[in-house]
Amino acid sequence: MSEVNLDELPAPNVRQHKRGRPSAIWIVPIVAIVAASALAVRTYLRAGPTIYITFESADSLEVGKSDVRYKNVPVGKITDISITDDLKQITATVQLSRGAANLAVEDTKFWVERPRIGVGGVSGLGTLLSGAYIGVDVGSSTTKAENFIGLEKPPGVLHDQVGKRFRLTTHDAGSLVVRSPVYLQRQQVGAISELALSPDGKSVEMEMFIDAPYDRDVTDGTVFWNASGLDVTLDAAGLRLDTQSLTTVIAGGIAFGYRDADHPGKPAAENTKYVLFEDRPHAMAKPDTVSLPLAVRFDKPLRGVAPGTVVDFDGTRVGTVDDVRPGYDAARGTFFTDVDATVFPERLGAAYAGLVSEGTRTGKTGPDMLQALVPRGLRAQLRSGNLLTGTFFIALVLDPTAKAATVTPRDGVWVVPSEPGGADQIQDQVGEIVSKIDKIPFDQIGTDVHDATRAASTLLGHVDHEVVPDATKLVAQAQLAMAALREGLAAIRDNVAAPDSPIQQSARSTLEELDRAAFSLRGLADFLKHHPETILRGRDSGPEPH
Amino acid sequence: MTAGELGVVKCETCNLVMRAPGDDAECSRCGERVVVRKPLSRCVALVIAAVALYFPANVLPMMKTEQFPLHRSDTILSGIKFLWREGSWELAVLVFTASILVPLTKLLALGFLLITSWRRSAWRPRARTNLYRVIEAIGHWSMLDVFVVSLLTAVVQLGRFANVEPGAAVLPFASVVVLTMLASASFDPRTIWDGVREVQHE
Repeated sequence: MSEVNLDELPAPNVRQHKRGRPSAIWIVPIVAIVAASALAVRTYLRAGPTIYITFESADSLEVGKSDVRYKNVPVGKITDISITDDLKQITATVQLSRGAANLAVEDTKFWVERPRIGVGGVSGLGTLLSGAYIGVDVGSSTTKAENFIGLEKPPGVLHDQVGKRFRLTTHDAGSLVVRSPVYLQRQQVGAISELALSPDGKSVEMEMFIDAPYDRDVTDGTVFWNASGLDVTLDAAGLRLDTQSLTTVIAGGIAFGYRDADHPGKPAAENTKYVLFEDRPHAMAKPDTVSLPLAVRFDKPLRGVAPGTVVDFDGTRVGTVDDVRPGYDAARGTFFTDVDATVFPERLGAAYAGLVSEGTRTGKTGPDMLQALVPRGLRAQLRSGNLLTGTFFIALVLDPTAKAATVTPRDGVWVVPSEPGGADQIQDQVGEIVSKIDKIPFDQIGTDVHDATRAASTLLGHVDHEVVPDATKLVAQAQLAMAALREGLAAIRDNVAAPDSPIQQSARSTLEELDRAAFSLRGLADFLKHHPETILRGRDSGPEPH
Repeated sequence: MTAGELGVVKCETCNLVMRAPGDDAECSRCGERVVVRKPLSRCVALVIAAVALYFPANVLPMMKTEQFPLHRSDTILSGIKFLWREGSWELAVLVFTASILVPLTKLLALGFLLITSWRRSAWRPRARTNLYRVIEAIGHWSMLDVFVVSLLTAVVQLGRFANVEPGAAVLPFASVVVLTMLASASFDPRTIWDGVREVQHE
């Protein structure tokens, strides 16, 4: 290769291009930086506030896995779980997403959603596989908060449910639990949202939530009763089984209605307090506005009378026994029993109203009028309500033939003297019967029965050996006799019953003979009717009778 | 003796040797653009873009898997961690190499080469040239993650029971890989030796 003169090499064509303008390649990093920052900003903006929720335990909660869901939409994640300083609870740190920032207000409730089999059915079944999550019920407050106390159970009422809360008090909640349904006309219109013992521990206080629009059906005239379980009534109409729904049988429930269905009253305000009655009859009963203490002294110990025993006035349950106190009468040297009860005279209805109106004319009060019944023969008796279960009740009866009795009147107390009642008599009679039974010489009878049995068995052996063979022969002979008899009967049947039997034949001809004779007699009779004289004079040669 | 020292330049397309142009010029025969050195700025711009996108590529989720009833949303690193914990450590190493190590190495190496070239460093030019060859060679292998995600997304579509969706990191990650490849292609290894020439001159 020869030497190359570098200067002879061709020169490249110089390109025209604008100077001072940066190369287009710089657009690439600018776009990249903008895109990266946009992503960063978006990620930053998407992150909402961090909140801290304390729970009793972190059971089935997992960092990074368990999320927070509002209406089943994930709105945050658990980023950390730690134990509180007092080692009693756990704190779940939750990173909420940006859109869910408004969730974190003061009255928001958080709970751990786990699979639950409860009153309202099965819930949270999905969490069996996916693991637990934290449920949210957003509060209505506008004050932001970041520390929350988690509930261990889902709340009975969610915040966005429309309706009203009412309060109920009862002495016996029975099988009622949170979420037990509330029924109106057997339709579920709400549920118990909270249930707790009253501070004094004597009653149970409940809060229930009635969904709109049925909350308007809760009025000042509404009565609530416990509709739990089965209500089996056996009365003159037969057996009646009453239940609100199958759920109430298992899980309990509350029903409500009106004492006066035609005038339900005005809708009640939120948080109105009601009393929960034990059942529908109690709820529907007129409220007892007048109560009156009743004092009765029985001259003997009372078995089967305890607080709660019914006081009955002429068949109407007017009250219950409050206290039973035995005592000793030193003057007479006898024991007695004082019974204190509370009665509600208005349960007597028109009877009491009549007494009151009679009293107003003479200027006396209703209790005065009741006390005035004592001189007219009002007595208290202990009666047996049910012989099988041995329950007793105290009956107030008007017995005009009762022996005069004096009572020491006490102010404001209805003091009624006692007299031996049906129960006593029955007891006495039963006692007599028992003593009579006692006198029966069971031993002697037993021996006699034993002897008789032995004699009978001897006799039977005798029968077995001697009588039975004879009897067998007898039976065979009887059979023969029966066969003969049957033959005889057949012969008779052939002779008598067959249409062509001689007896039938002769009987028929005899009857025909008789028929003809009767015809002749009729002719004679007619003739004689027309010619009665022939009896005396004989028949002249007149025309022949026809 | 280098072409630069002789004041000549070769057309990359038709191999015509010309006198070195003072400025932007094109081949007098085929019209290809003729430069003495590819400008460093082009490579710098691409590397900066790649670095910018490297962050979202690693922070954002790469793949969202739904395997009833579990939802997973994995970034590249958490995916590797998951693989490691599940016992597939070979896979973990492979993914780590392809998705973390290679792009990172490329970015660092390119940065190093750019800085040394810009400063006309005469430090071990041969080693730096070897480094450049390595990054040119391994550049293509980083797309592994992107391929895996694309493949799974297409194949695993079983409705509720199993579902794979590409995450937000796929695009930035693919961009990082493409940008680093472009950057290494636009790097002019001759600039490594420019400093060497100057040193010899003095």
